[in-house]
Amino acid sequence: MNEDSIKANIVQWTKSNADFTDPSAQRHWASEEIFWGVFSIPEDDIDVIGDVNGLDVVELGCGTAYFSAWLAKRGARPVGVDPTPAQLATARRMQAETGIEFPLVEAAAESVPLPDASFDLALSEYGASLWADPEQWVREAARLLRPGGRLIFLTNSILVYLCAPDIGVTTEQLQRPLFGMGRIQWPGEVGIEYHLPHGRWIGLLRDNGFAIEALHELRAHEDAVDPGYYDFVTVEWGRKWPAEEIWVARKL
Amino acid sequence: MSARNVEAWTRANTDYTDARAEEAWGKDEIDWGIWAVPESEVHALPDVSGKDVVELGCGTAYFGAWLKRRGARRVVGVDPTPAQLETARRCMAKTGIELELVQAFGEDVPLPDASFDLVISEHGAAAWADPERWLPEAYRLLRPGGRLVFLHTSPLAYCCFPAVGQITEQLQRPYFGLDAVVWPGDDGVEYQLTHAEWISLLRETGFLVERLIELQATESAVTHEYYNDVPVEWARQWPEEEIWVASKP
Repeated sequence: MNEDSIKANIVQWTKSNADFTDPSAQRHWASEEIFWGVFSIPEDDIDVIGDVNGLDVVELGCGTAYFSAWLAKRGARPVGVDPTPAQLATARRMQAETGIEFPLVEAAAESVPLPDASFDLALSEYGASLWADPEQWVREAARLLRPGGRLIFLTNSILVYLCAPDIGVTTEQLQRPLFGMGRIQWPGEVGIEYHLPHGRWIGLLRDNGFAIEALHELRAHEDAVDPGYYDFVTVEWGRKWPAEEIWVARKL
Repeated sequence: MSARNVEAWTRANTDYTDARAEEAWGKDEIDWGIWAVPESEVHALPDVSGKDVVELGCGTAYFGAWLKRRGARRVVGVDPTPAQLETARRCMAKTGIELELVQAFGEDVPLPDASFDLVISEHGAAAWADPERWLPEAYRLLRPGGRLVFLHTSPLAYCCFPAVGQITEQLQRPYFGLDAVVWPGDDGVEYQLTHAEWISLLRETGFLVERLIELQATESAVTHEYYNDVPVEWARQWPEEEIWVASKP
């Protein structure tokens, strides 16, 4: 296990929770619609998830668990998994406030204390997909899913990784090589991220027994606006190039 | 593929591919793309021994010749450009390697359904034919369990080419809406999709996506003498070419 990146990311997300995810949790939990990413692209526009009614869902890196709450409202039975106690405390407060209750498990996605083949959908929206070691969390996702279950995750696009300067907003210039990309700690940041090229995502998913169903490269809508807290990219950039991407894979 | 691509490749054959055909046919090792990345490193191909292969957009058919030498039972090269097929016939006569050559576009191949184990395209149909039409043709031509392997320029490279001149380290055009591109001063029509669109089209056609191999220029690679709009330094940092591998269930 990557104890160092797990520890670093708990520190990072304890701070981010105090700064943003705790104060914004109520607004996120209250949404009746499912939204994707920093440009708030409605699920109804891109139709990634489909009907979740009655599905057992595990969210890997749930943070304050608003995404699980959205799925619970649509009839799913979610379990939220996250290593950061502060975010889980916020999630518990929201459960008490809203009456939307589901299990929360304090664990890193690299090693999840839940039984094999017990879920129909494994989900990660800027959770394990960016902050956990892909070799380990994708294997865990495969283990947790029943045959035919789906893995859906959103993370930063390759182009954002390539065009983001060390500090500041994403540019139109290639700032770093694609070859050799993987684990990165941005200068001045505490957290440690993992980014893979598309070829390696496909290889890793196939090696873990997944069929590739879809890749959604997200485009900012005409009426989208610059992100607030997550200000790594502008809306003008996000209309020309994908800032985020969603992978959909099915366990064979 | 349009008639203008036949004109473009008739000229390119006179300028380059004809003169280089015999050397290409003579190579013992299979390699990929303008950086000549060895197949022994990327393992994109299945074992072709005893298999039936069709190459869509074969040009002078050197890739087909390599596969025939590796024991493929039958290799059919399909290309719409008569001049390149003429060069291929000359190489067949010189080497004694027997391929079947068919003059046709990758979008409309006059060969029967389910008659091949491997469909290959190396900067052929994969770059110069309409993917909405050639992928269904590839699927139709394959037997169940068969493989499609194709190489083309990466969408990242597309984004970084200016209208004229060498590739840059700058995003020159949007990624969304890549499609049919006619480069100024160049007569051919090239087709490119985003990665998401390639996956979607492969899936809709019925293929399973097996692999995407993003090719890195090796340490010993040098900037290509003819396809010289990408310096090797660029291709050591970013994938200028990529290979998709898909299978027919």
